[in-house]
Amino acid sequence: MQQSEHLRIGVRSILAHKLRSLLTTLGIIFGVAAVVSMLSIADGARREAVEQIRLLGTNNIRINHVELTGDLKELADAKGSSGLTHSDGSVLMRNLPNLTGVAPLRFVDEPVLFGNREATGRVVGTTADYSRVTDFKAARGRFISPLDVREGKRVAVIGAAAKAELFGYRNPIGRKIRIGDAWFTVVGLMESKTIREARASVIQLRDINTDIYTPITAVNSRFPAPDRKGGVSEIAVQVSDANQVETTSGIVKRILTRAHNGIEDFEIVVPAELLAQAQSTQRVFNVVMGAIAGISLLVGGIGIMNIMLTTVTERTKEIGVRRALGATEDSIMRQFLVETVLISVAGGLAGIVVGAVMARAINVFAGWETVISMYSATIAFGISGLVGVLFGLYPARRAAQMDPITALRFE
Amino acid sequence: MLIEVQDITKTYIMGDSEVHALRGVSLGVEHGEYVAVMGPSGSGKSTLMHLIGCLDRPSTGHYTLDGTPVEDLDDVALSALRNRKISFVFQSFNLISQLSVAENVEVPLIYRGTPREEREQLAAQKLASVGLAHRRNHRPNELSGGECQRVAIARALVSDPDIVLADEPTGNLDTKTGEEVMAILAELNDSGTTIVMVTHDIVKAKHAKRLVQMSDGKIDRQLVGEEKDRIINQFEAMTAVPAA
Repeated sequence: MQQSEHLRIGVRSILAHKLRSLLTTLGIIFGVAAVVSMLSIADGARREAVEQIRLLGTNNIRINHVELTGDLKELADAKGSSGLTHSDGSVLMRNLPNLTGVAPLRFVDEPVLFGNREATGRVVGTTADYSRVTDFKAARGRFISPLDVREGKRVAVIGAAAKAELFGYRNPIGRKIRIGDAWFTVVGLMESKTIREARASVIQLRDINTDIYTPITAVNSRFPAPDRKGGVSEIAVQVSDANQVETTSGIVKRILTRAHNGIEDFEIVVPAELLAQAQSTQRVFNVVMGAIAGISLLVGGIGIMNIMLTTVTERTKEIGVRRALGATEDSIMRQFLVETVLISVAGGLAGIVVGAVMARAINVFAGWETVISMYSATIAFGISGLVGVLFGLYPARRAAQMDPITALRFE
Repeated sequence: MLIEVQDITKTYIMGDSEVHALRGVSLGVEHGEYVAVMGPSGSGKSTLMHLIGCLDRPSTGHYTLDGTPVEDLDDVALSALRNRKISFVFQSFNLISQLSVAENVEVPLIYRGTPREEREQLAAQKLASVGLAHRRNHRPNELSGGECQRVAIARALVSDPDIVLADEPTGNLDTKTGEEVMAILAELNDSGTTIVMVTHDIVKAKHAKRLVQMSDGKIDRQLVGEEKDRIINQFEAMTAVPAA
């Protein structure tokens, strides 16, 4: 009942001093804008990281070959380990029943040409399983088949970017491209994967759209590596259940270490762990932005309190009159509290808009992905209300505790 | 007895010194009376008014308003008492400048919790009774002094009080508008409302049925009936400007 009157009076009092009210809310506007844009950047970075991890496969484990040098290399040679090999994949598949696929990858640095056009991507020798393990499919034609691998056929499946480099808008299927000094027939074109450059996260991805896939057997026979027979650059492993990825990665490490006679010439990358790393980097950023937002809100709150103290003094006579007409201390207190909360909530709403604009600007100019969520807007709104209550209490109490007679005499 | 003040004192602390605003005042006012409290400034008449109006509590003594002892009431009870039983008419009108005329009249009803429609209706009614229905949407600063005081009277009447406390109600008005306001108060008293008025102008007290004269925080004398009229007439004759 009285509350709606307090609201009406509050709105009117704020509108009666438009410029003053606007200036008062600036601190809150920037504070809330900082909160909103911070949360939007954090959300954007998280989404970006999640997307990248999805590209690697959430229930995947990647095992990379590590080139040893110096003493370690000699030790490895002495122990008879020649790095990551094709047979490591078979060992894993045999020993771990919860693996649903293993695909070895061997990267080859050979020029890829079609006529006088050259592709910038890498030649990747792999098996038919690769497509399923990484959930990366052929958009046209087909992927490498088990038969291709068994017979070492010279066929190639090219990524969308590699196709654009080599063929432009022409249909690549059935054409022959030259890899090194051998001719390969293009049998398929991979789907295009959106890859954002990692900015706010630690995960770096190569652009798989420029890859050129060929059967690993064909690569091995055309471009042998005399010192690492059967060596591969990477093994992609798919685990049946995403929840088992972490434990499985531990077992993989033990199996491979034993198979390599104790030499760690490989590294295991678990995309899910990368996500955790990305988030801890993000946390530093959040603390800085949070501090900025906190200071803005504090300054904004003090600004509001200052103006409300002025307002209370200006309206001393009104307070006296209202008390004489039957207003309780409590009622006076609520009247001024409502007004303060109104100012700061209005500032909060404006701050959400400014924050959204800032987030958009960051997205456009810095290229960071930003996401404005309902959740961050709600938090910002709540914070502004809280600031209003906290910093409104003191002026409202002062108004309520004024002596009515003194207030009535005030000129 | 509507107002029963018994041996009240009021002492303020002003810096290091004590100010004795009231030094033992006893006063009774019946339902429907019209009492004028007179005295020079500093005589304690305003303090007495504030105490009667429940804006303040006495330092010692007892005050009973319509059977309710006031000394021990808390803020909520005191505010409710002010809201329901007492209305003020001030020298400087004390209208709230941000509110329209009609909204000013509604203020006492807001604190009583009267629903909005009823509030608007009652306010319109009271504004019409003081002849200001056409001014309802104006702001106080667009009104003349006499009109402002009539709005204040409408505000005082809207809550249907037992007592109207008028503190120098004509002090800021010219003679003619002052007389109009006094006439409204007299009319109000005729219809049964108790009025206690503070004034330093004895002529203004002629509508009152009783004259209470104060000085130095005490009541000097109380005049009623013919004695009161005689003294007022004497005074009026002394100060009257001869007709040209």
